Amino acid sequence: MHRANHHQALLLAYAGAILTATLVHEPRHLALGLLLVLILAGRQITRILLRTLRVVLLFNLTVSLGYVLLALLRHISPWDTLILINLRVLTLTCLTFLFIARVNLFQALGFSRTLTWLLVLAYSQALALKQVHEDFRLALVSRTPIRPSLRDRYRASAAAAAWLLDKGLAGAHQTALALRSRGFFDA
Amino acid sequence: MHIPDGFISPQTYLPAYALCAGLWWMGMHRLRARLDEATLPYVAVLTALSFVLMMVALPLPGGTTAHAAGIALLAVSLGVWMAFLAVSMVLAMQALLFGDGGITALAVNALAMGFLGSLSARITWRLLRPLHEGAALWLAGWVSVVLPALAVALVLGLQPVIAQDAAGKPLFFPFGLRVTLPALLMPHALVGVGEGILTWLGYRYLTRLRQRHAT
Repeated sequence: MHRANHHQALLLAYAGAILTATLVHEPRHLALGLLLVLILAGRQITRILLRTLRVVLLFNLTVSLGYVLLALLRHISPWDTLILINLRVLTLTCLTFLFIARVNLFQALGFSRTLTWLLVLAYSQALALKQVHEDFRLALVSRTPIRPSLRDRYRASAAAAAWLLDKGLAGAHQTALALRSRGFFDA
Repeated sequence: MHIPDGFISPQTYLPAYALCAGLWWMGMHRLRARLDEATLPYVAVLTALSFVLMMVALPLPGGTTAHAAGIALLAVSLGVWMAFLAVSMVLAMQALLFGDGGITALAVNALAMGFLGSLSARITWRLLRPLHEGAALWLAGWVSVVLPALAVALVLGLQPVIAQDAAGKPLFFPFGLRVTLPALLMPHALVGVGEGILTWLGYRYLTRLRQRHAT
């Protein structure tokens, strides 16, 4: 119970920090915020920074280059806007990865029994199915010495989706029986 | 359609969260009324399936890929409210457990993809089903992708107007509607074709599986 409250408090603090970072429009303050998040990350700083860059790089690069082009056409300086937007995106994304690393979301959502159950069931199923999806992808790669054709990739995707649906429904039936036998629906 | 954090202003995401919270509450209320040993795991499993479907990349000519979402399949199979909750759960899991998609964009995405996508798909399917089930399913899938894309394009494209500094420079997403509408609608009109086919095939396959599991 004590731990659950700790995680719920961190969830609230995270929500507050997110709101604050979107209300601040001064790049120096956002840079300080980013520095604070990185200090709080401690030994995980490299991992969090790399994950952040992996997530935001493509989108931010597209937006930034597009805006530079637009600014050139309009004869305005793009740098103030780009520094502000990119600093904000970096701060918020690093903060989210720090939150993911430090907070147990299942305990943070412990205030709702239904929500926790749904999250636990969906997350456990998603992890299992994600692994299966990766297995299917690797199976296609390992069985095709040359690059698979578009038709082959469509067929592989369709077979994976069909298998996942079948597995999902069978899993739903088993989970239903397990929940009923443990009295979950009696309350 | 996944928007990272930092591109949506608080003037947009706070009202979106308020609206979403009301809809989530209504959805949970309706779900609890239907909650039993059949519905709870079914919703959880279909939520997980939607999560994985978003990872199954559909190759497009030219080397690019697009992912399915399964929103129309959820809407025609489970109804609007359950589909809305399921898609919201997927988006929340992606944002808070895997860091994919922004937390500030979560409510906007949930409203656009989860609510508008599910509602438009369900209405299309219900209206056209008596005429031709296959066409109704395909169009439900197409609409469930294109209408949310339109909504997200409007939200993003209005950011420079909603949030700007004293000099008129954008504080969040910097492009207007002239950029966002074609940039989002054109690829999603194509993605919708694939989503429509997925909905049609998925629904037929799901119906067959249900009959097999029932016997």
